[in-house]
Amino acid sequence: MKVGIAAVGLLGPGLSDFASARPVLAGQEPHERAPVTIPPTTLLPANERRRTTDTIRLALKVAEEATADCDRSQLRSVFASSSGDMDIIDRICEALTQAEPMVSPVQFHNSVHNAPAGNWSIATANPAPATAISGFDATLAAGLLEAATLLQAGSGEVLLAAYDVASMATFRRVRPITESFAVGLRLCPAGAGRPTLELALGEGSDPTPCRQDSLEALRGTNPAARSLPLLEVLARGEGGHVTLAAPLGRSLEIRVTP
Amino acid sequence: MNPLVISAHTLTSATGTGRQANADALHKGYSGLRACDLDSVRLDTHIGRVAGVEAIVLTDHLAPFQCRNHQLAELGLRQDGFIEAVEIARERYGAGRIAVLMGTSTSGIAATEQAYHRRDLATGDLPPDYDYQHTQNMFSLADFIGTRLGLRGPAMVVSTACSSSAKVFADAERFIAAGLCDAAVVGGVDSLCGMTLHGFNALQLVAPEPCRPLHAERAGISIGEAAGFFLLERPDNGAAGPRLIGHGESSDAHHMSAPHPEGLGAARAMEQALTRAQRSAGAIDYVLMHATATPANDRSEARALARLFGAKSRATGTKGLTGHTLGAAGAVGVAQALASLERGFVPATAGLDHLDPELELDARGAAEERDIRHVLVNAFGFGGNNCSLLLEAA
Repeated sequence: MKVGIAAVGLLGPGLSDFASARPVLAGQEPHERAPVTIPPTTLLPANERRRTTDTIRLALKVAEEATADCDRSQLRSVFASSSGDMDIIDRICEALTQAEPMVSPVQFHNSVHNAPAGNWSIATANPAPATAISGFDATLAAGLLEAATLLQAGSGEVLLAAYDVASMATFRRVRPITESFAVGLRLCPAGAGRPTLELALGEGSDPTPCRQDSLEALRGTNPAARSLPLLEVLARGEGGHVTLAAPLGRSLEIRVTP
Repeated sequence: MNPLVISAHTLTSATGTGRQANADALHKGYSGLRACDLDSVRLDTHIGRVAGVEAIVLTDHLAPFQCRNHQLAELGLRQDGFIEAVEIARERYGAGRIAVLMGTSTSGIAATEQAYHRRDLATGDLPPDYDYQHTQNMFSLADFIGTRLGLRGPAMVVSTACSSSAKVFADAERFIAAGLCDAAVVGGVDSLCGMTLHGFNALQLVAPEPCRPLHAERAGISIGEAAGFFLLERPDNGAAGPRLIGHGESSDAHHMSAPHPEGLGAARAMEQALTRAQRSAGAIDYVLMHATATPANDRSEARALARLFGAKSRATGTKGLTGHTLGAAGAVGVAQALASLERGFVPATAGLDHLDPELELDARGAAEERDIRHVLVNAFGFGGNNCSLLLEAA
C-alpha cells in the first residue's frame, strides 16, 4: 500500500510542532527535552473547550496542525491511542470505591475512547467517518494501516492522529507512559511531489531506532513516540526504510520515498 | 463493494449462550433482562447479564487475560464450533493472513474497578496482581482473541462507544480489499461494569424497568453484556453463507452524548450502506434499529428512517431482549439479523404494546413470519459515531 504524506503535526518533550522541530529531527540542531505543554484548542466554542481533557486537547493539537492548510469539513479521520483517557478512568474508578458512587456525566461521556474523534467532528462540523482504535504499544502501526486502508477505499485525504498523555501516578507503574506525545499525519494519494510511504506487514523484525540518542531516549516513553524514526527520515527529506512494531508480534515495514 | 461471506458466527448474550438459544429468544420475544443483581452495583435498574461468565477460568498462556470481558469472550468463542471454523480457515489461509478486528467500549475495566477497591491505603498503589496490559488496555480484547485462536494477521481494537463492533465489519472489508489479509475474525465484547451502569445513570439515561424501545412510554436503556464473533471471507474462495454487502459510517458532528435531533448522521450511514451495496431502499425487508429506548435516540433514528424509507417503514428494536450491550451492540445486531435471515422472520420489538405514534414506524410487538432477503443493522455511539451494515441472505 502506498500513501503520500500531505502534512505532519507533532507535540512532544522539546518538540512543539513539526515545522520548528524539523531541524532537530534532521539532526541539524540539538534536541533539548522540555516538559510538554498541551495548548487549548482554538476550534471548539468556549463551552465545549471548557469540557475538554488533556487527552482531547493533545489529539486535537496535532490534528489541527496537520490540517492547517486544508479543508477539514470532509476529512475522514483515525484517532489512535493505546490507553485513552486514563485520568478519567482514574477518577471514575476512584468514585466507584465510594459507598454512594457519584460519576460525573461529563467525565463519563469523555471517557469513551472516541472522545477526541467526537470533539474533532464537532469542532470541524465534519460529517465524515471518524474512528478510534488501539494497538497497545503498536498503536501507531495499527493506526497507519487503518488510515491507509481508508485512503485506498475512498476519495480524499485521511487524517491520522496518534497520541497518549503521560500516565497519571496510579497507572505509572502498570503502564509506564512517562511523557505525553502526539503525532498527526495527513495522508493523501501517493505521488504529486510529496513524500510517499510504502507500507507492508512484516513478520516481526526489530523496530528501527532513532538516529539521535536524545530522540531514541524518547521513543520508548510513549506509543506515539514510536513515530520518531519515521519523522527523522521525513525531516531529512531523504528516502529510507523504517520498521515499526505492529500488533500480535508483527512489524510494519515502511519504505519512504522523498 | 465486493461482498464478504459470513462463513461462521456465534452469539452469547443475556438471551442465551450460542446461536440457537439467541435465535429462539429472538423469534419468541423472550427477554433476558432481570433486576440488577451485580454484587458491586446497587442501582434500581434491569440488566442483561450472561449466565456462566464467572465460572470461566483462563489458564496457561491465557491466564494474564483473566477478567470479566475476556471470560465472556472465552465463553462466546466456545459456542457453535466457532474455534473449529477458525482453525480450518487458519489451515487454509495461514495464521498471518487472518485479521483480528474487535470492538469494545470499556474492555476489561471491571478488573481496574476491582483493583481500585484493593489499593494500598498508604501508597495508593494498585495491587501487584493487577495486569493492566491484558485486562484494562483497550487492545487487550484483540490480543486475547488473536492469542486464543493462534492468529497473527493485522489486528486492532475499534472503540467508538456503541458503534465499535459494527465498524469492524467495514474495516474487515477494507483490509481484505487492500490485500492485507484473506479473511477476518471480527466481533465485539462488552461486559457489565460499575463505570457504565453508574455513568449512564448519571446521564439519567437508565430506565428502572426493563427497557422498551420505540414504546410511547420508553424511559431509557437497560445495560447488557454480550460476545459475538464472525468469520468473514471472500466469496471467490468458495465460502458459503449470508453476506455483508454494504456498510456506511458517519459522524453527527453535533454533540458528545446526544444524537442529532433529525438523525442526519444516521441517515447518511444508512444511505452509504445502500449505495455501497447497490441496493435501493425498497429492497430492505426491515431495519434492525439501534433503538436504545431513550426518548431522544429512538426519535432521532426514526426520523432518519423516515428520510430514507418514508413513513411507516418496517423496523424492529431488540434491546428489550438483550439490553444495550454497548460496544457489542453491532455484533449482537448482526447475529440477530442473521438469525432472522436464516429462519425467515422479522423479530418482535419486545414489550411493544404501545408504539410511539410520533415515530411513524411499522414496528410490532410480535414476530412476523416471512422470507427475509435484506436487513439493515444500525449501531450508533457517543461522539455521534454512526455505522450501518447491510446483510443479505445466503
